[in-house]
Order: sequence, then C-alpha cells, then structure tokens
Amino acid sequence: MAVLRVHRFKALGGPCTLYAYAGDDAALRAGEAEARRIEAKYSRYRDDSIVSRINAAAGMAAVEVDEETAALLDYAATAHAQSGGLFDITSGVLRRVWNFKTERVPTQAEIDALLPLIGWDQVEWQRPHIRLPRAGMQIDFGGFGKEYAADRIAALLRAAGVRHGLVDLAGDICVLGPHQDGSAWQVGVRHPRAAGAIATVPLRHGAIASSGDYERGFVHDGRRYSHILDPRSGWPVQGLAAVSVLADQCLIAGTAATCAMLLGDEQGPAWLAALGLPHLVVDAQMRVRGSVQSAP
Amino acid sequence: MGRGMNNDGAKKPTAPAKPSLSALTAAALALPGLAPAQVETDLLYSRYQEADLPGERSSDGVDHPRYEIDTYLFRLAAPLGDQAVVANLTYETLSGASPWYVEPRQAGVDDTPVQVMSGASIRENRADVQLTWALPLGGIDWGVSLGYSTEDDYRATSGGIEFEYRPLGSAHSLSGGVGYSYDKIDPVRGARSLDVIEAADKDSLNAFLGVSWVLDARTVLQTAVSYGLHDGFLSDPYKRVYVVQGPTLIADSRPEERQQFTASARLRRYLAGVGAALHADYRYYRDDWQIEAHTVELSWHQALGEHWRVVPGLRWYSQSQAEFYAPYFQTPRSDGLASSDYRLSPYGALTARLDLRRALPGDWEIGIGGEWYEASADYAVSSVAVESPGLVEYLIFNFRLGTRF
Repeated sequence: MAVLRVHRFKALGGPCTLYAYAGDDAALRAGEAEARRIEAKYSRYRDDSIVSRINAAAGMAAVEVDEETAALLDYAATAHAQSGGLFDITSGVLRRVWNFKTERVPTQAEIDALLPLIGWDQVEWQRPHIRLPRAGMQIDFGGFGKEYAADRIAALLRAAGVRHGLVDLAGDICVLGPHQDGSAWQVGVRHPRAAGAIATVPLRHGAIASSGDYERGFVHDGRRYSHILDPRSGWPVQGLAAVSVLADQCLIAGTAATCAMLLGDEQGPAWLAALGLPHLVVDAQMRVRGSVQSAP
Repeated sequence: MGRGMNNDGAKKPTAPAKPSLSALTAAALALPGLAPAQVETDLLYSRYQEADLPGERSSDGVDHPRYEIDTYLFRLAAPLGDQAVVANLTYETLSGASPWYVEPRQAGVDDTPVQVMSGASIRENRADVQLTWALPLGGIDWGVSLGYSTEDDYRATSGGIEFEYRPLGSAHSLSGGVGYSYDKIDPVRGARSLDVIEAADKDSLNAFLGVSWVLDARTVLQTAVSYGLHDGFLSDPYKRVYVVQGPTLIADSRPEERQQFTASARLRRYLAGVGAALHADYRYYRDDWQIEAHTVELSWHQALGEHWRVVPGLRWYSQSQAEFYAPYFQTPRSDGLASSDYRLSPYGALTARLDLRRALPGDWEIGIGGEWYEASADYAVSSVAVESPGLVEYLIFNFRLGTRF
C-alpha cells in the first residue's frame, strides 16, 4: 500500500529529504545511495574523486573522463557560454582567499593573484580528455552537482514507479508528481534574513532551485559578503538577496538561479525572462517580485 | 589593477542578451538518466521515380515509362522503463513497367542489346510491419525483432536478434546479430508462358559482427563484417532471357543458393570549428555468383544555427557481373543458368543527395530531401564491354515529420 514515506539523510553538504508515496522504502534507499555515489565521485575533498584527479594534473597531462563526467563537463561548457562566462566551474580557486568560516576579507592583491587561474575558456576540453593548462587551476562541481543529484534521484524514483513524490537536497527540489490526492506540494522559499519562508510556491511537477547571499556568507564592517563569487572580479556578488527559479530540470533551475545572482538586480531578472523561466527574486530590501505565483 | 576593497567599480559582467534555454536543456538531457522517456513518432513519405527507358535502348525505339513507388512509413518508439518497443509500418504503392528481357536489335545484323519492357503497367501494394523489442540484459543491450511483409504475390516473415556491448571505460564497443527470413512467392501476373512457376520459396540467413573504435575525442571508426546465405528460389519469375539459337525465350534461372560477404568501414569525424561532421564510408561486397562490388560514400553533416541541419552526400558504386549474366545468349548455358537482369550486369552508379532538417518548437522536426541516382557502365571500376540497356536512373524526393511527447 502506498503511503507517504519520508527518508532523511545528510549528503552533498546538507540535509536531504526524499518524500514518496510508495509501498516500501527500497526506492528511497536507492535514492540515498545515488546521492552518496555522486558525492563520492565528484567531491573535491576526496583524493580519489575524478575532480581531484583532474585538479592534481593541472599544468600537466590531460585526464580521460567517463561518459557521465563528460556529459557534466559539456553541460558546464554550455552554461558558461549561455551565461556569457558567469557560470564558471574554475572559479572555486577563489576559496583559497575567501574563507567564509573565518570571515576574513582578502586583499585585492590576493584576489588578483588568483584571477589568471580562472576561466573555463582556458580549459582544454576535448571529449573525453580534459586538461587544466596552468598549475594551480582547479574545477569543482559544487555549483551544480547537488542539482544534478536531485535530477538523478528523481529519475531513479520515477524508474522505480514512484509517481507522487519530492526530492529535496538542501533546497534543490525536484517534484515527481503531486500528492497522491492530486494536491500540489507547498514549497517554501527561504527568507534570506530570517527563519522561515518568505514565499510559498505550489508545485505539482518540475524543479525549483534557489541561490542566495544567506548561504555561507558573512557580514564584516556592516557589509554582507555572499559566498557567490563573480568569476571575473573575484568578489562576492551584490544586489539581489536571493533568487529562485523553476525549470523542468533542477540542474537548469540551479544554473539559472546562480547566474541571476551574479548578474544582479538589474540584469538578473531580465536574463531569466529571456530564458523563459518562471522565477522569484528577493532584492536587498527584501521585496519579492517575479513571475511565479506564490503565497507570502 | 587599482580596484578598491569592494567590487562596485569592477567591470559589470555582461550576459548574452538572448540566452538559450534549449541549449541548456539539450546539455542537461544528454546527462545519463535525465532525459525523460518519451514516445517518438515519425512520418515519412517518399516518392521514387525512375526515368523513362530511352528509345535508343528499347526494342521498339520509343521511350518507356518505368517504375514509380510511393512509400509511407510510420515509426513509433515507446519506452517501457529501461526497455523500449519500436514499430515500423510501411505501405507502398508500386506502379509502372519493368524490364522483361533483352534482345539484339536485329539478330545477325545489329547485335546491340535493347530492352523489352513488360507489357501492361502493373500496380500493386506492399504492406510491411516490423516490431523490435529493445532490452538491457547482463550489461548488454539486446534487440529482438519480428517482421511481416505482404504483396499481391509475395509474403515474407522474418525475425532476428542483435546485441551491442560497450565495456565500461573502454574506447570500443562490440555489436552483432543474426536474422532469418522466409519468403514465399506466388506469381499472379506475367503468366504469359507456360513455364511460369506456380509458387516458390526461399530461406535467408544473415549474420553480422561489428566493432566501433573511438580513435580520439572527435573520431569514431566503425568496422563490420557480414555474411548472408540464401537458399531456395532466387530467380525472378517475371523476367525472361533471350537465346539467339534456342527456344528464344527462357525463364530467368539463377542458382538455388547464394552466399554473400561484406566488409565495411565507416569513419565519423566531428569538426568542432565549423560545427560539422564528416562521414566517410567504404564497403566491400563479394558473393559466390562472382559479383564483387565497392561502395564509397561521403557525406557532410552541417549544423546551421540552432535549428537547421543540412546534409549533402555523394556515393559511388561499382560491381562486376554475375557469372551467368549476359544481355542475351547465343546458345543456352550448359548449366542451365541464365539471367539478363541489369542488377546482375557489370556497372557503376553515382548517387547525389541533399537532406535538410529543421527543429521546430515543441519537439517537432521537419525534413525534406532529394536523391538522384544514375547507373552507367562508365562509372564501373573496370571497363565494361557491353552495357546493359536496362540500367536505371531515378530521383527520390522525401518528406519527414517527427515529434516526441
């Protein structure tokens, strides 16, 4: 008998919850295993991950990658092109000077020293070989790995016959279908400055992903430093407090939300509108606007 | 680099004014497992039109219209979890006249072979259904197919099994398959002489083995060998052979067995700079009727913007003749075999084609294409003493509409 089963675990750097109307927990456990597989394969903290192997060979040899990694790199290349270079998986090198735990603001000289190591257009990517041309360059899949995992787990649950369910990987959400009675899932969009939701979005299918200056950011001398770093300047983005985007794939919703944050208050919403994706933006004054039907 | 402690003065990034959701979606759906299982349907119409047999090659000195075929193909591919079912339904209308036999223009005076066409224009229909079930099993992709084809005078039942194996992390994949077909012929027309057969049948067995090699990031080479064995009635019940000193017209008579062998290599090279792919194919064919053939095909797959694809192609073909072929015979062969079918004659052929496809909103795709084919002794790899007068020239026009949901 299909009852709503809820499966919670911690993976990919955050709390994960899988909801499914299912006869047993088998599919949900397989979903967790998939999250752990992706975490292990693409973690930059594990020496044996493919990401670590690519980064370790920077400035040296090309590394041959498998089909899944190749498809992810192709996706990153496409997102880089479509965002005019804003979505860049080589920008993680900035974490060397931006430590959001110690809340220290780096000097411009420190940032300038890293900028030559950033730029997807420098990367030699010829399927299935990737080579980072400069020693010290690195890539990471942190900007889209969790969203990809949400899509993968949703596909896995769907293949297991789940038609009513939801995948929530720390706010990156994929909806498999409405509740069993046909009603929508009420997805809360986090308030950037307070506990709880700033808006609620009803969803029956598709995905929603959010990006905001509240995640791992800090305030120093009255100024907010977000963890979202502009790959061109090396500095945190300013302007918008949070962006949520709806798309068929969580991957695309997440990419679009990140790019809109990088583009800021003026260009971000226009770029999302040009993409044709429903969205919700929260500006620095906590005003909510956008094209999504939401309840406060 | 005189930037201050904040990025207010930093250069504002500029994003493309028209980002493409379809580009992002295509890249996302290329990820393993992310493409939602969709039902695909295609509707294809094609018109095949043979050029008239010119008067200088026909027995009565006047032009003769030849075959026309209208083909309607409906294809449906439906996913079922990790399996899939594919159905192909074909309906064809064939009409026109076909080569009957070849005779000397004026026996003893002018030995130039000229074609005699079948008298009345025939019209017939063919219906064909092919079902394939695709399933992964034990790390190998399997395909099981069944087919049935029927015409006024002809029925064929076929079945086959194929596999494709891609070892994880390997630069090559292996594929193979076997197929069997049982064909029954029951001639209903052309019974102009008493020697027309009542009914006949044949069995055909085919097998192939292929290896695909990833040579580098942009080059794939596919190599394959195949074997075919046909057993039974392999003659053409509607064709005759002219014998100068003999009973004049005898039945087309071919061996009751035919073994065919092919070896092929297909090269696919992607050229990122121009957004195109070059396909270069070669095929060698040999059978125990002594026909040896070569096919070389080049095509260029060019993407134009996000929505258009144009594919020009050129094919060259050359074959030697079957050992029992002649335009006509002076005396009957001692083994009783004889055929003047132009398809068993020595000749070469050139094909030029152009296909155009456009992606439309909502997962629709539309395509049109054209193909011109001409067979001639001049295109053959070795010089041909006497060209068959029945060699064909044709045009194909096709239209395709596909969608997925």
